[in-house]
Amino acid sequence: MKLFSKYNRILILISFLGLIVIGTLFYQMLIFYLNRQLDHDLVEEATEVKEYSTGGKFYSPHEFEDLIVQYHRIKSTRSYSIYGDTLFYNPVKRRNEHARFLRAEMELNGLPYQILVIASKMEKQEQIKNICLIILLPVCLLLIVVLLVNRLLLKKIWDPFGQLLQNITDFNINHEKPYKSVEMPVAEFRQLNQVLVDLSGKVKSDYEEIKLFTENASHEMMTPLAVINSRLDNMLQSNNLDTREGEILAELYRATSKLTRLNQSLLLLVKIDHNLLQEQQEIDLRTLLKEKTLYFQELVQQRNITMELNLSPAVIRANRQLIEVLINNLFSNAIRHNYEKGRIEVYLDAGQLVFANTGHNQALDAAKIFDRFYKDSTSDGTGLGLAILKQICARQYYRLNYDYLNDLHTFTITFKP
Amino acid sequence: MKILIVEDELSLQKSINEYLSGLGNTCSAAGSYAQALERLDLYHYDCILLDLGLGDGEGLQLLSYLKRTKRAEGVIIISARNSLDDKLIGLGLGADDYLTKPFHLSELNARILAIVRRKSAQGEHKIAFREISIDLDAKEVKVSGELVHMTKKEFDLLLYFLANKGKVISKSAAVEHIWGDDADMADSFDFIYTHIRNIRKKLMDAGSGDYFQTVYGVGYRFISE
Repeated sequence: MKLFSKYNRILILISFLGLIVIGTLFYQMLIFYLNRQLDHDLVEEATEVKEYSTGGKFYSPHEFEDLIVQYHRIKSTRSYSIYGDTLFYNPVKRRNEHARFLRAEMELNGLPYQILVIASKMEKQEQIKNICLIILLPVCLLLIVVLLVNRLLLKKIWDPFGQLLQNITDFNINHEKPYKSVEMPVAEFRQLNQVLVDLSGKVKSDYEEIKLFTENASHEMMTPLAVINSRLDNMLQSNNLDTREGEILAELYRATSKLTRLNQSLLLLVKIDHNLLQEQQEIDLRTLLKEKTLYFQELVQQRNITMELNLSPAVIRANRQLIEVLINNLFSNAIRHNYEKGRIEVYLDAGQLVFANTGHNQALDAAKIFDRFYKDSTSDGTGLGLAILKQICARQYYRLNYDYLNDLHTFTITFKP
Repeated sequence: MKILIVEDELSLQKSINEYLSGLGNTCSAAGSYAQALERLDLYHYDCILLDLGLGDGEGLQLLSYLKRTKRAEGVIIISARNSLDDKLIGLGLGADDYLTKPFHLSELNARILAIVRRKSAQGEHKIAFREISIDLDAKEVKVSGELVHMTKKEFDLLLYFLANKGKVISKSAAVEHIWGDDADMADSFDFIYTHIRNIRKKLMDAGSGDYFQTVYGVGYRFISE
């Protein structure tokens, strides 16, 4: 739920409940005071009856007073008085009305009487209703206004926050453009924005530093590797090596060469990340693919792999070095993970380039194969080939897809997604 | 041939020295700009190997010096940096070739030979070994005058072995020579075996002797004489 709706929902609920509770209390309070006042009137009425009776007459109220006094002869008087609510028939208005009564016993002209004084509540009740309405209506109106203002105000205050969220979403560590700061009228948001500016700057500089570190580390490793390589080359010239030592040398060569390739791949990734290979030119992909097919033909023939080329003319504008690496990697990949007497299909048209090959594995996990250092345990590669592929495609804004179709591992590159 | 090795990593300097001397070259070594200048004042060389990563940008300084003084020596840059910019700057300043660390000594030697050959006035564009003769311009191999047909990779490989006569070339060096920087296929050593077998067969079918030797399964050697 959005903060806005959540806040509004709670506000409305509390206002409504509050209104009911306070309204009820208010009403009860008024009723209480009304009864007290009526009771007071009744007592006064009773006193008047008593005073009136000294003249030997029974008091009888006027018709318009909505008041009734009844007298009953009794044997003797006890001293009590009872108040209560009742219904009585108003003979003037000819209807039943809510009323308050007082029952008391007293001696009138020396004789014991029980008197009952009943006073109508009707008019007072009307008054209360009106009072309640007069007070509650403006309160409700006020509530609605507050809710509306809230809605507008919140929208206005939170608007920059939405912009800020959008900017965070747009922020990409790999792009040159920094986090875009937002003008914030609210202090807390301004602080948040400042924190984000600082944080994104720090993240970016840290990331740059890591890339630089990778680059430097890789470069620094090249000279020791050169020492190892050259020492091995010299050692190999010794005339008194036996087979076992020969095997050890072969293994050392293998390891050194793998380490070298790993280093070169890391450096290439850094270079692509840094966007160092920017120079663009027109590339005739069909010609390039034909050249590369010749270049790789010995490897293909040696494993008796069938090559099927289906190439339409296609010219793209891109960095030549990147595209060559791209195609080399696609070829290497299709050959390396193939089996004896397997098949490679290459399809090219103006919109896409497709490499499909048979392989030992079943369908691979498309979400993982482009990760750095993801490879199956039997592979002797660096585990960076597909990561480089992905990086190049990202840099050139191509779409790269992996599918497993008709028992073929299929890599599709769409030039203009 | 006389070769000057300018390299501050002493271990590498020694290896290069050892390998090239073993092929009958005369090598001297310098570990700094000053040392290199001293040598260059006194002697002339056929080729200079220059580590571009020499301290304080001295590598580039030396390169400018060589260009300024119009020295005739061929220069091969050795660098740990495989960047196109460095390569272009280096070649722009008059270097003849650019080799990225790590490299195989056999590769270095082949490059030296290629440059010296290119630089020599007469243009020694033919190589001969006993009954085998190679025309570098026409990219032709002949055995006792009879043309032997070879693929481009086989031709390159034969030339590579001839340049390093008598030295064992490891399979990994051969693979890297053929595939260069694109060698993410460098783990497929088997195909070097196929290539060598083909070259050998073609040469022997044309009547040459068998000059390739297999060495402990690590590599191959083209016999010296």
